[in-house]
Formats: sequence, C-alpha cells, structure tokens
Amino acid sequence: MTATGVRIAERFSAFSFVDRITELETGTRAKGRFTVPEAVAEFPTCLAAEAVGQLAAWVAMAQLDFRLRPVAGIAREAKFLGAVKPGQTLDLEIELEACDDDAVAYGGCAWVDGAKVVELSQCVGPMLPLAEFDDPDAVRAQLGVLRATGAPIGRFRGVDRPEAVVIERTRGARLRADLCWPESAVFFGDHFPRRPVLPGTLLLDSQMRLALELAAEATPHRPLQPARVTDVKIRSFITPGQVVALEVAMLGSANGTVTASLGARVGGKPAATARIEMAAGHAP
Amino acid sequence: MQQMEITKEEIMAVYPTVAQILADALGCDIERVKLDASLIEDLDAESIDFLDLVFRLERAFKVKIPRGKIVEDARGDLAESEFEQKGVVTEVGLKRLREFLNEVPAERFRSPMKAAEIPRLFTPETFCKVVVRAQRTAGAGA
Repeated sequence: MTATGVRIAERFSAFSFVDRITELETGTRAKGRFTVPEAVAEFPTCLAAEAVGQLAAWVAMAQLDFRLRPVAGIAREAKFLGAVKPGQTLDLEIELEACDDDAVAYGGCAWVDGAKVVELSQCVGPMLPLAEFDDPDAVRAQLGVLRATGAPIGRFRGVDRPEAVVIERTRGARLRADLCWPESAVFFGDHFPRRPVLPGTLLLDSQMRLALELAAEATPHRPLQPARVTDVKIRSFITPGQVVALEVAMLGSANGTVTASLGARVGGKPAATARIEMAAGHAP
Repeated sequence: MQQMEITKEEIMAVYPTVAQILADALGCDIERVKLDASLIEDLDAESIDFLDLVFRLERAFKVKIPRGKIVEDARGDLAESEFEQKGVVTEVGLKRLREFLNEVPAERFRSPMKAAEIPRLFTPETFCKVVVRAQRTAGAGA
C-alpha cells in the first residue's frame, strides 16, 4: 500500500504493548512491562491480553531468528480479572509450551500493582514469514531496544472504536451488527507495517461490548462484566476497510454466569469464533 | 521401519476422548463426529483447526505429536521427490497414502491428488491412530 512509507512512523508505537523486556530465557519464558500512557481515555482489558501475546511473540521471534512470527491464532481461555487504568503499569509474564516453525504455544499473565488482571491459557499462534509483515532487521533491532534501555513510554495514543451498525436484534437473545475498521486507523501501521491486519484483540473487544449490551437487556437489574472468554479462534485475516459481520447469541445462564457465543464473518465466511462468560462481581 | 498394526481396540480406547476434543475444537455437536467423517468435508475443519486439534491431543494424552506427522509417517522411507512432484502426489505416494490411511474410504482418494489436499482425507480415526502411535513412541521411550 502506498501509505506504508507514511505509516512506518506508527511502527512499534501505535499498537505495541511491551515497553521493556526485563527477563528473557530463549524459547522458554519472559517478563516485561508496559505503562499505559496517562493521556489515553481508556485501556480495554483486551489490550492487556494483547500485551501478553506480544511478549510471547517477541520470545518466539527471537527463538526462530526473526524468520517467522506468530499472527493471530487460538486462545483456549482468557480470564479477565480486573480493570486497567491509564497511567498504570502492566507487569507481564509468559511461558512457552512449544515453539517451532509451525506454531508457538504459550500461556501468560498481566498484573497491575501485584493483582492479576488477565490470564491467558493454552494459546497457539501459527507462524508465518516475518518478512511478509515487517522488516525483520527492524524487528530484531527493536528487540535489542526492549532488552536494553526499553522503548520510550507513552507511545500508545489509544484506538478509535468504530460504531457498530446493528442489523438485527432480538432483545436479550441475539444481535447482529456490522463493523468496519477504516484504512486510516493508525494501529494498522503497527499491526503490521507491510501487511496491515485487524488485531484479534480489537475484534474481541468489540464483540465483548456487544455481548455485555445483550446481557444487560436479558438481566437489566444485575450488571455483568466479562469474566472469561474461551475457545477464541481467529480463522482468517481481516484487512483495513473490510466490513465485519458480528453475531452474538446468548447461550444460557447458570450459577450467576451468563454465556454467549461470539462470531465474526467477512464476506459470508467465518473469520473468528469464541464464547464469553459474563458475571457480576468485578469490573474489568 | 514397519510399524505394528494398530488394532480396533486401541483405536476405540482413545476414540471417546478424541471425539470430544474434535467436537470442542470444531465447535460442533459430538454426535456429528463419526469415526469415518472427513474433518474438512463433513465437519468444516480448516487449517487452524488442525493446529488446535494437535495441541489439544498433546495436552489430553500427554504425548508429543510433531506437526506434519501424518504425511511424514505416510511417506516413510520414500524420498520427498518420490512422494510428490510439483505439489502433486505421485502414484507411488498415493499407494503409500492408501496403505497408511487405510481407514479412509477408497473413493475419497483422487488421482491426481495435490499434496495440499491430503488433509481432506483425514478422519477422526486418522487422529486416533496418531494418538496411538504417539503413545507407543512415548511408551517405548519410557
């Protein structure tokens, strides 16, 4: 795309959530940090999950000598345990289960002030050639920065959330909506410079908001929060400007937990699937 | 190396767990998971599902299943160029596939067959056999 030269300024800033890697055991585990800039209006907890995934991606890329990188993939379980506010620092930790030319498997957590806010389990990222997405030399050099001085804090300036256009709604039961992340969205310049694709965590954030909206219609007197998302699977890339058809369907309620299925389609084909459990009690 | 044949009893011993894992990974009802169903044609599996499946099987059965293991085992001692040429499975390769994937109904083997189409042959029984082989390997190494 012709805008690549312009967008390169966004690399390692517009959608990068590791400021510093404080410990790294090649191919095994790592710890890192990310400080949410004071200036952003909000920091969705999905982006804390993104930060954990990005730390795992750094370890995997280093392990594979920057030939390959994980893109999108699978999360068996993501627990949302607390909120993250602007100005707070995320402490990140990941452990690799496996890492080879096909995939990286990992789990990890993010903490704020010693309290766990996100926990990811049994995640799998399929490996693709790094050069398709970014300049391997630039990525290698950035790892050096993250391991040494760390990247400057405050690079992230927030993400604009597109308005969902509701197509069909059965109150408290089912909702279909169209959503489109415009080509001008700055995060595409960082995710990724050579091949922009929608981050799965932003898709999930939008789906989770719609699910909460639907749950609020079903249980108006009991405010719910996302507690757990399971079986997240990103099936295809979503490119800038594509219209994504989101579908949320309530599946049932048991022991104070409301479950819904989350779907996303592009051009009629499945792009992502997941399930969400919502419960009262905490406020991510 | 000729491997000992896998018995029906061995397959059925792991099948209930494999079927449940398949249903979970594909997000479908377990009733749809038949032993001889084509994962791609009948259960709409995609490449990401195979990756998911392999990791789930490894965790559930506590075995290692290298990615690409099915094709690699089917190829056996054949050189890659003997097994496939320009992305198409050779006649010799097809014969090996028919022998190795003997649980797959014969009519599903096309000739010519692109190497990229091999996963279309895989069934739940194929993955039961993968698990049994991995268990044998783990047992042999113990």
